[in-house]
Amino acid sequence: MTAVTGEVPLQGSGLLGQPLDAREDPQLLRGEAKYVADIDLPGTAHMAILGSPVAHAKILSIETKAAEQMPGVLKVATAADFTDVMPLPCIWIPGGVESHFPPHPYGLPGARPVLTGDAVRHVGDPIAVVVAETPRQAAAALAAIAVEYEPLPVVTRADDALAEGAPQLHEAVPGNLNAYWTCGDKDRTEAALAEAEVTVELDLVNQRTINSPIEPRGAVGDYNAATDEYTLYASTQGPHNHRFLLAALVLGIPFNKLRVIAPTVGGSFGTKGYLYPDMALVLLLSKALRRPVKWVDTRTGLMNSTVQGRDHRQHVVLAGTRDGRMTGLWATSYANLGAYPSTIGPGVATALMGRSISGMYDIPAAFCEVYAAFTNTVSLGAQRGSGRAEAAFLMERLVDRYASEIGMDPAAVRRMNLVPKEKFPYDNGLGWTYDSGDYQLNFDKAMELSGYADMPARKAEARTRGKRLGVGLATYVAICGVGPSTRMSKEGMLGGTWESANIRVHPTGEVTVTVGSASTGQSHHTVFAQVAADELGIDPALVQVYEGDTLKAPYGQGTYGSRSYSMAAPAVALTARKIKAKLVKAGAVFLGVPEEKVVYAGGKVYEEGNEENTKTFAELAMAMWYGWGLPHEIEPAIDETTHFDPPDFNYPFGTHVAVVEVDELTGETEVVAYTAVDDAGNIGNPKIVLGQIEGSITHGLGQALMEAAVYDEQGLLVSSDLTKYALPRAADVPFFTLDKTTTPSPHNPLGAKGAGEIATVPPAAAVVNAVVDALSDLGVQHIDMPLTPEKVWRRLRGEAE
Amino acid sequence: MNGRPEQFSAEPNELLVERLRDGLGLTGTKVGCDTGQCGTCVVRLDGRSVKSCLILTASAAGSRVTTIEGVTERGGELTGLQEALRQEHGTQCGFCTPGMVMALGELVENTADREAPTEPEIREWLTGNLCRCTGYHSVVRGVQRACSAARAEIPEEISEGAAVTASAASAASASASASGKEV
Ligand code: FES
Ligand code: FES
Repeated sequence: MTAVTGEVPLQGSGLLGQPLDAREDPQLLRGEAKYVADIDLPGTAHMAILGSPVAHAKILSIETKAAEQMPGVLKVATAADFTDVMPLPCIWIPGGVESHFPPHPYGLPGARPVLTGDAVRHVGDPIAVVVAETPRQAAAALAAIAVEYEPLPVVTRADDALAEGAPQLHEAVPGNLNAYWTCGDKDRTEAALAEAEVTVELDLVNQRTINSPIEPRGAVGDYNAATDEYTLYASTQGPHNHRFLLAALVLGIPFNKLRVIAPTVGGSFGTKGYLYPDMALVLLLSKALRRPVKWVDTRTGLMNSTVQGRDHRQHVVLAGTRDGRMTGLWATSYANLGAYPSTIGPGVATALMGRSISGMYDIPAAFCEVYAAFTNTVSLGAQRGSGRAEAAFLMERLVDRYASEIGMDPAAVRRMNLVPKEKFPYDNGLGWTYDSGDYQLNFDKAMELSGYADMPARKAEARTRGKRLGVGLATYVAICGVGPSTRMSKEGMLGGTWESANIRVHPTGEVTVTVGSASTGQSHHTVFAQVAADELGIDPALVQVYEGDTLKAPYGQGTYGSRSYSMAAPAVALTARKIKAKLVKAGAVFLGVPEEKVVYAGGKVYEEGNEENTKTFAELAMAMWYGWGLPHEIEPAIDETTHFDPPDFNYPFGTHVAVVEVDELTGETEVVAYTAVDDAGNIGNPKIVLGQIEGSITHGLGQALMEAAVYDEQGLLVSSDLTKYALPRAADVPFFTLDKTTTPSPHNPLGAKGAGEIATVPPAAAVVNAVVDALSDLGVQHIDMPLTPEKVWRRLRGEAE
Repeated sequence: MNGRPEQFSAEPNELLVERLRDGLGLTGTKVGCDTGQCGTCVVRLDGRSVKSCLILTASAAGSRVTTIEGVTERGGELTGLQEALRQEHGTQCGFCTPGMVMALGELVENTADREAPTEPEIREWLTGNLCRCTGYHSVVRGVQRACSAARAEIPEEISEGAAVTASAASAASASASASGKEV
């Protein structure tokens, strides 16, 4: 275990690493948890949003009179009603060579209005809202709003949007180029490519996908006229962050007048960390109507309004020697940001991807350039594994292409190029410095566990059944633990990215932990209690965890990028250590011995060498509550807070192996075996991490095999509900073979690395590699995702895509 | 409704899920889609699991409806299936969970009279319920655990169950005995 320099070394009681049952689960299983749609404040009115039916048009007029006369309607509002409301800002603008954004009044470089008034730029772009007595009345009244449009030409692909003469989305953004961003060493990479013995190239489409949490988003606004205070209940993964953005940058109200509450949130995977117009609208309308205003999205609404993911078109090149040594990596990517810059979408499409492209490999020269463009599609944002999955996909496809070019085993090429253990901390030349790792160990374990050596025999056997068996490898490094605030500011992030925790010990010995992060299904109540109990040496049953309410919880940025266990949990642990240090000081008084003789262990303090002279945690809690006999320099009571801002990110990694069988007759791909060996550093609760890994892999398989947000030429999202957007179902996935290696991160006191989404990073690459392997004797070198049976069937018949 | 008679009049186009959630405050039943695809709204209608977003309230008149609130009391002891899902951590955000419990309850009961359902059978049964968090693995393990526990604990009831699961109505009574409550 490596500790942060200067910190008390880990003195846990051994609870960490135990698969404790999630204490959240019983109420979830009984259907008792309250999600935002279940919140029913007295007197609630219901809001519905009119989204644009067309992808690009000038708005000539909006007629709302008829809608206002409809039964139950309380208010109809358009952009004209909110002229004093500032637009929603974009807060992650990576420093690039050029960047243009629609302006925000505070000088922020990105923005979208709460309602659009001049033009619509994607199907679903919100134009007007209705508030009525019931949800049905509100929805019915939408149909009575008449909008006159002047159609404009539509563009839905990033590369098309940048072409000469393309339709223009924003006046302030000539040529639709939101940002041109680069990282790495261009000259060296150009030289490496020019001098290389071998270069291979691929044109890749990392298709747009829809995150699809099963709970659609929702928001309830509750304005209290008596106190001039606003409360927002929202399905958010960052209540404090949303409070900051809404109060300061959108509504322009005092920070301390807005309270944001995240109730139970039904999954997010990145999408619910974004600021959406509806969050501001329910508050504004609640104030206007003096009633709580509730809005709950539909699935189709979600698909047309909640940020979407991935969406890169790329040209990538890998250079190397004939005997398998990689020498240069080049990636040119056209990223589709959608119609408006989302809260942090531009950062996801650039830095989060670009700096990760070389993955676990030691490549002497690498360069990435991203052209991020506006198009008439839903805004781009994060999606489980965001940026890192896109990076792993291009790298791992390239490695296979290179291996086939030089006639080497793909596993051998990979192993030869892994960053060697002694090179850590490792500067990848693209802007990240990997903290720790033993990539060889991890890789070898995956090869062994998957039975990689037996694949030739399995391929031959499958052929006798009319199946083509293919095996695909993918490795990855996922930057997690966002993060060091200063580092993120250099990356263009507006705002700190630290986390905090408070621990309050009650007089009777129970403990309340409050954290700034907020769960969207990660069992925080279980894990943070485990961390506190481990440090304090007490029974986790004594610990209660609260989060998600900005009035009660200490500040924090929320749950995203797999950061809770490596950001919020360290804050909990460090706070517990402060408490232990204080109790050692106080213990000296209570035990009547010098401080150096006081030991804190096993949930009590005692005199070194004389364990009879002791006070238990509960006794200390009471004694500190009374405060009798404490010298002036020791404050009574036990209540501590820590703000944790790590020295650098952490970098989990891993190796995945997909085995597929492609049916010769139908082109159907079945994943028949999947092995993953991930390294997330020290793990707090393996039962919870196991679930996250399994869910993440399944999500990645979804992108490889079936998921795609499809826009037609008019910019209509064709796959706008779950009959047309395929999510993996139970029968689509086998049980996985999972294992781990453990390389603690030196960047936090728990030695933790991100875990939640990391296993989403490699599966798409592993599966595509496996299918290409299965079809390699037909000369197939690449197939674009998703690998639908039809697409594969055509390739089996020798047709081009 | 969960063992109690309920009397009300409904609009002809009112969906059962609307009545449950908005009319009766039974918010354990969730709405995840508009198209009958996600299974978060599954309830039991005369013992059979159905998607309550695809059923008109009027058409459920005279039927026995069981929602998640009718499976366990508030804060009450979990059923065997729920307990098994808890032990396998078959739930993360929990939004899909009530619908899963309702649908899987029918599987567990309907197979009580024979060999435990196989993994492919469980996965096939689950195709009507989407879960984005777990990838289904822990859910499938939970069902396997529930089935083996049920077989280990109540061997006599298995043969009795064989006789009563033949019709929908008797499936409902099997459900009642499994959860120990009137439906
Ligand atoms: S809400 Fe009924 S199936 Fe999705
Ligand atoms: S647990 Fe979140 S959708 Fe299933």
